[in-house]
Order: sequence, then C-alpha cells, then structure tokens
Amino acid sequence: MNIFAATDIHISLAAEEVFAIGGFPITNAMLLGLVGLLIFLGIFGYTAMMVKKGRYNRFVGLIQWAFEGMLGSIDTVISDKKLARKIAPLALTIFFFVLISYWLSILPGIGSIMYDGVPVFRSLAADLNFTIALMIITMVSVQVYAIKQHGVFGNAGRYLRNPFKDPLGAFEGFLELIGEFSRGLSLALRLFGNCFAGEVLLLIIAILTSYLAVVALPIFMAFELFIGLVQAYVFFILTLIFTSLAVDTHGHSEAAPSHSSHPDHSSADHVSTPVTAKE
Amino acid sequence: MNLLTQFAQAAEPASGDVFAALGIDWMMLIFQTIAFVILVWLLGKFVYPILMKTVDARQAEIEAGSKAAAEAEKQATEAKQAVDKLMQQARRDATDIVTTAKEEASAAIEAAEAKSKTRAERIVADAHVQIEKDIVAAKKALHNETLELVALATEKVVGKTVTAKVDDAVIAAAVKGAK
Repeated sequence: MNIFAATDIHISLAAEEVFAIGGFPITNAMLLGLVGLLIFLGIFGYTAMMVKKGRYNRFVGLIQWAFEGMLGSIDTVISDKKLARKIAPLALTIFFFVLISYWLSILPGIGSIMYDGVPVFRSLAADLNFTIALMIITMVSVQVYAIKQHGVFGNAGRYLRNPFKDPLGAFEGFLELIGEFSRGLSLALRLFGNCFAGEVLLLIIAILTSYLAVVALPIFMAFELFIGLVQAYVFFILTLIFTSLAVDTHGHSEAAPSHSSHPDHSSADHVSTPVTAKE
Repeated sequence: MNLLTQFAQAAEPASGDVFAALGIDWMMLIFQTIAFVILVWLLGKFVYPILMKTVDARQAEIEAGSKAAAEAEKQATEAKQAVDKLMQQARRDATDIVTTAKEEASAAIEAAEAKSKTRAERIVADAHVQIEKDIVAAKKALHNETLELVALATEKVVGKTVTAKVDDAVIAAAVKGAK
C-alpha cells in the first residue's frame, strides 16, 4: 500500500515549454513571471497613480513604507546620493520583482496546474535564464558606473596591471577579475538555487507528510516566504555593494563583501532535485 | 562544476550539453534581459520618480522640521539668555532706582524739614511782631481810656468848684503830663 499522496514526482531543472508562439518557446517560468510582472506593475502603477493624485490609503501607505525603506537602504550603502538615485530603479526593481516572483511560487497549488503533462506555472527565479539575465544586467550596470567613475582605462587598471612593475598588484588585479565573474555567477546561482530548492522542499515535504501536509506545509511555506524576502534583499543589497565597491576611489579590494551570513539553502542536495508532483 | 556536470548528465544524458541541461537558452536569456531592462526603464521613467518625489518631500519636511526645531531651541536658549540678562539688568536698575529714590527721599525730607523750620520760624517771628503791635495798641487804647476816665472823674469831682477856664487849664496840664 502506498502511504504517500503522490509518489510520481515530475522534476525538471530547466523551465519547461508549455507552448510556443511563432517558434519562440513560452515556458512555465515565463508564464508565472508574466503574472508576477502584471501584479508588480499593478501594485506600483496603482500606488504611483494614487500618490500622484494625493489619495492615500493603507495599501498605498504600505507600499510607500516598503519603498522608502529600500530607498533608505540604497542611501545607506551608496553615500553618493546622485549615484544612489541612478542605481535605485535597477536595485528596487530587482528587489520587488524577485520578491513577488518568489512569493508567487509558494502559492498553494501553483505547481499542480498541468497542461499537456507540463506544469503551467513555475517560479521565474527558479529559471536560470532569468537569474543569469539579472546577473548580466547587474554586472554590466556595475561596470558602466565604474567606467563613469574611473574612466575606461582607470577601470581596466583595476584588473590589468603591469606584472613587471607591480607583480603583486597584477596578481591582485587578476584575482579581482576572477572575483567579478564569481560574484556575478554567485548572484545568479544563489537566487536560482534557493528558489528551486524551496520549491523542491515544499514538494518533498508534501510527499513525505502525505495527508498531514495540510499541517506541515504552512510552516515550510512561511519559512519559504522568509527565504524569499531574504533572497530578494540579498540580490538587492549585493547589487548596491558591488556598485559601491566598483565606484570606490579608496581601494576596492579590501572591502569585499561577505556573502556567507544570509540563510542559503542552495546546496548541492537541493540543486539536484526537481519541482512538481504528478498526482 | 563537477556537480553541475553530473546533474546535467543525469538530466540530459543524450545531448551532454550543460547549458541545455540547466535550461539555459540563449534566445530566452537575451529576451529576458531585454524585457527586464525595459521594465527597469519604464519604472524608472514613470513610476519611481513619483514615489521618490514624495519620499524626498517628506525627507525635506523632516529635515526642515528638524532644522526649525533646532533653530527654535537655539532661539529659546538665546531668548532665555536675553531674558536672564534683562532680568539682571532690571535688578541692577531697580537697585539703583531704589537707592536713588531713597537718597532723593532723604534729600526731599531734609529740604521739607528745613523749609518747614524756616516757615515756622517766620510764623513765630510774625506772631511776635503781631503780638508786640497788639500790646502797643492795647496799651495805647488803655491809656486813652484811662485818660478819658480820669478826665471824666476829675470833671465830676471838680466840676462844680472850678470854672471852665480853670478846668480847661487843668485838663490841658493833665493831658500834657500824661503825654
């Protein structure tokens, strides 16, 4: 006798194609991403409209409170207010969009809606295309601001130094170059790993607890909500820190940020497991 | 990387493409990158400025309020100092005024005393003069009355024995003697 509610687990590391438009594949991650995008635009469009009209309510106040808090974080990390305001749209969009996308994936039943044997929805943050896209945008932005601050050659000088004149500095520059890539890669993989692992965790808990899942799952869902908030904030704050380090004129290599202090369950065990259950 | 390769092999054993196994599609990657850049641009152009404006306005209000409070505190301190200074000055002035008033009062009292003394002395002197005059007048009136009485008595005593001629001579001699 099978004691589990569902044992046939459908797991896919990659986002799956649900249908195609003109040969362009529309994946389940894109579909939930689109839902997240609409919610995101709806929330901020409504808030901006209400603020513009001077009409306030509790919801608008909540969004304004969150927005002001994040803006305060930006001003704290980046002391140059002008630069802080330039990087703010990117950092804020990353935070709120990642947060909404992450939280959407925790909604009960989101993975059980199937179309042609494929789950219709999957968290956008559990699609490497999205996290790598975010990483590329972040790292390109960081380099653009660094070039604006130091100039093309000045910025290149952070990585490329004459090994005959300054062998230690050349090695340091090489390490800095590797550091840039590893920082970017860790940004993308951390978010992907956490979100993917979160979805898998919920799935495994649902299977292991069987009919007791109604009691066990909410606890893990609440935990995942917290992890989602932390991951969105980590991506947001690291974007700011990388920008701050890149434009820092007092030496950038000393103040490399530590990434190890946040809750992170993107370990190897999580990455090697998958997402939805076929009931 | 070994882990990812192992996983990729497990997921896509036929192709052996790590990127495909991880679901990385270059077209999708470019599409999502462009889409996100457009989203950031749209929000940065139309939504965030409105919210930032309110945040800035509120921040400016808070700063202005804080500045005004600091200014008010400074002004209050200055006002307190000014009041203390004025109070000290007022106390000094009051002390001076009281001292001056006392001195002036003393002087006025002394002057009044001197004046009244002078006046009293003059009144007394005038009274003496008046008394003297009254005494002289009384003496004169008494003398005249006495003379009249003497004349009358004499007339009554000697009227019948002396002639008018003798009478007049006696009276004249008496008057002369009296004078």
